[in-house]
Amino acid sequence: MSNSIENEKSCAETADRYEISAKSNYSSVVKSTLLKSGPIIAFLLLAIYLSFASPYFLTGSNIVNIVRQTSITAILAIGQTLVIITGGIDLSVGAISALSASVAAVLMTQQFQIGGFMIGPVGVGWGIIIAMLVGVSVGVINGVIVAKGRIPDFIATMGMSMTIRGIALLVTKGMPVPSHAVATELKGYLPEQIVWLGNGSILGFPASGVVAILVVLVGWFILRYTVLGRNVYAIGGNRDAARVSGINIVRTKILVYGISGLMAAVAGIVLSGRLNSANALMADGEDMKSVASAVIGGANLAGGDGGAIGSLFGALIMGTLANGLNLLNVNAFWQRVVQGLVIIGIVLFDQWRRRKFKA
Amino acid sequence: MVTKKVLLRMERIDKKFPGVHALNQIDLDLYAGEVHILLGENGAGKSTLMKILSGSLERDSGNIWIDGKEVGDLDPEHSKSLGIGMVYQELSLCPNLSVAENIFLGNLPKTKIGAVDWEKLNKMAKESLVSLNVSIDPRMLVRNLEVAEQQLTEIARVINRQSKILLLDEPTSALSDAERDRLFELIRLLQSKGVGIIYISHRLNEIKMIGTRVTVMRDGKVVDTIPVEKTDENQLIQKMVGRKLNEQYPKIHTKIGDKILEIKNLSSENKFKNVNFQLHSGEILGIFGLMGAGQTELARSIFGLDSKMSGEVLIDGCVLTKHNPNDSIRHGLGMLTRDRREGLVPMLEVPQNVTLAIRSQESFGQIIKLRTEKEFANKFVNSLQINPPIINRKVVFFSGGNQQKIILSRWLCCESKVLIFDEPTRGIDVAGKADVFRLMSQLANEGIGIVMISSEIPEIIAMADRILVMRRGEIVTEFQQSVTQEDLLCAASEF
Repeated sequence: MSNSIENEKSCAETADRYEISAKSNYSSVVKSTLLKSGPIIAFLLLAIYLSFASPYFLTGSNIVNIVRQTSITAILAIGQTLVIITGGIDLSVGAISALSASVAAVLMTQQFQIGGFMIGPVGVGWGIIIAMLVGVSVGVINGVIVAKGRIPDFIATMGMSMTIRGIALLVTKGMPVPSHAVATELKGYLPEQIVWLGNGSILGFPASGVVAILVVLVGWFILRYTVLGRNVYAIGGNRDAARVSGINIVRTKILVYGISGLMAAVAGIVLSGRLNSANALMADGEDMKSVASAVIGGANLAGGDGGAIGSLFGALIMGTLANGLNLLNVNAFWQRVVQGLVIIGIVLFDQWRRRKFKA
Repeated sequence: MVTKKVLLRMERIDKKFPGVHALNQIDLDLYAGEVHILLGENGAGKSTLMKILSGSLERDSGNIWIDGKEVGDLDPEHSKSLGIGMVYQELSLCPNLSVAENIFLGNLPKTKIGAVDWEKLNKMAKESLVSLNVSIDPRMLVRNLEVAEQQLTEIARVINRQSKILLLDEPTSALSDAERDRLFELIRLLQSKGVGIIYISHRLNEIKMIGTRVTVMRDGKVVDTIPVEKTDENQLIQKMVGRKLNEQYPKIHTKIGDKILEIKNLSSENKFKNVNFQLHSGEILGIFGLMGAGQTELARSIFGLDSKMSGEVLIDGCVLTKHNPNDSIRHGLGMLTRDRREGLVPMLEVPQNVTLAIRSQESFGQIIKLRTEKEFANKFVNSLQINPPIINRKVVFFSGGNQQKIILSRWLCCESKVLIFDEPTRGIDVAGKADVFRLMSQLANEGIGIVMISSEIPEIIAMADRILVMRRGEIVTEFQQSVTQEDLLCAASEF
């Protein structure tokens, strides 16, 4: 549009209204900042409380411990966040972690005869690549079922979760890997690099934490600066508008589930390193933890809203809470009760605050 | 009016939203048996005022009296119990339930053991429908009703809660003339029963037909409240926009260029068949038809939103083979859907919405330059005079006319060659309409070809260079510009 349109709005009144709007625009910036930093504030409050309640909370070894506990959930939560923003949910991330770690562990520790050739044990690089391929493939299958088959995300990924756990049991023959119980096993341990990912550290900072931070940064960048991220928000915010605007919804969803699968594989590798073993039933309960992290971090299960940094703090809140309850010697049964209630409480508070500020 | 009983009085109602003073010291009263028309441009604050009355928004300050008693904070429940009934623009019925169930929803009659007493329910529903002179079978599923019947059902539901004050927000926007007459009959009946009605409409010609008094709002203030018989349309328009509308249909006569869009034998499964037409650059081609004649389906199918059965769409002589929106956009087609909510991502801000379609042509890994994007948005906000000119504002907070401009920006941003406007002024106020028409003229003048689908006869006659008339899914006639309203209606109706 070259020439602007002549429009003689009654200037006095318009100006009158914008004076107000200029002021409230400033306060709305403050409000939206507060709105976005909700999870960070909640995390800080929790940390401050715990540092007073327990003398061990702020010690170096405890912080390292929290980072190790949190990093797995954080990695899964980033993939989950992308899925949730599109309006979906991925209940198979825990299972994908288990399958990809199991496949990698089996290949890295055992030997097979395929067509007369002895294969394996493969090197650590191959192990990681194969684990990631497994994760991406399962994620893509999730995406195809959801987007092409038009099955609700919830059902599709839950079904896949059971399927994948079953396959993982088949792959590991129901045993932890490595286990010494299987005749074909060559090594009694996972490659040291994998173990380092789970338990090692770089300049005193846990390696798994570094992986988690990298994943968070990648997620943040995708969501904020790439066309894919924009499509994710658009599809979750209004699927119809996304369609009218020419966005390929099927392809976007498949890709997002693929990324979630990839993140799950990364988490699976780190977790198997931490446990120095992989098994078909590991990462149980991580699906719900990752969903909870994303939601605590401000993601909207109806789609269209959420972010990587928020989800990181969501995961940190979950990890710190679990750690704090341990430090405070809370009975393990009560820990579950408290954790569940805290999740509900935080989301309730978040809903209330959103309604208050948006009205 | 014999008894001038005041049902409702609102004084100095004030409401501020972030960025806008939505209601500025509003005074309004409503008598029993009156139809009080609320007029104003989009964003004038009418809907906000109604939301405050129905309890879905809290007021910042101001007092409300109902039946002479002051009421404090309103929430939806409280508001209902005070006898205020709201009929929303978008119907809020459950389509999968029957008429009777919808009318008594939340208050179903029960048998001794606590199950629904179907016999009693249907009888009660029948009675309440009959008392409103409405003949609908209470057992029908709402899904199977005509739009007007759904509206009547909704009103029956509201009235059934003993509402004395009825709020109607643009009730006729989806109705045909005959359906509207039916609604007006019902309104007159309610009037005679002493119900007070606040009626929001953008259709000025309805004011004389149904109104008692009219209150004009502008920029969050009440401009005037006048008895209907003491005013006329011109005066009302002037009060609404605060100035004289020099031109309601600013049509620029442009030179019509080469063929740019061609539709060949396009047919759908059952909505339209054998549609053929051509559109030239700089031309505004009107497609007129009564509701359900297939014009919306045709538009959606051309753009690739709905499937087609056979036929071709050509842009600049090039056949669109993939038949999906992405491919259409690549070839320079843009579409403003009938329902604006289908066009916008409400919780995203202006820049993201403006660039949405252009992003669909980029690869997923493409990195977005946020600053360029903002500059883009600013450019369109200025050139299209989007109001308020704040780009970091979620589009859900803009008024209808401005949302329409944001969607238009999206297609200008893609440099579309052909734009399809499906009912571009639906739910937009008078000044907003003139704005949209001015933009259409200007775009045509710049060489864009426009398909304008409209059921508003005056606007299509004024704006279109040629008019195709659709009836039962087929194009039956073509008119040149000099067509009269009667000709157009005759061609579109079936005799």
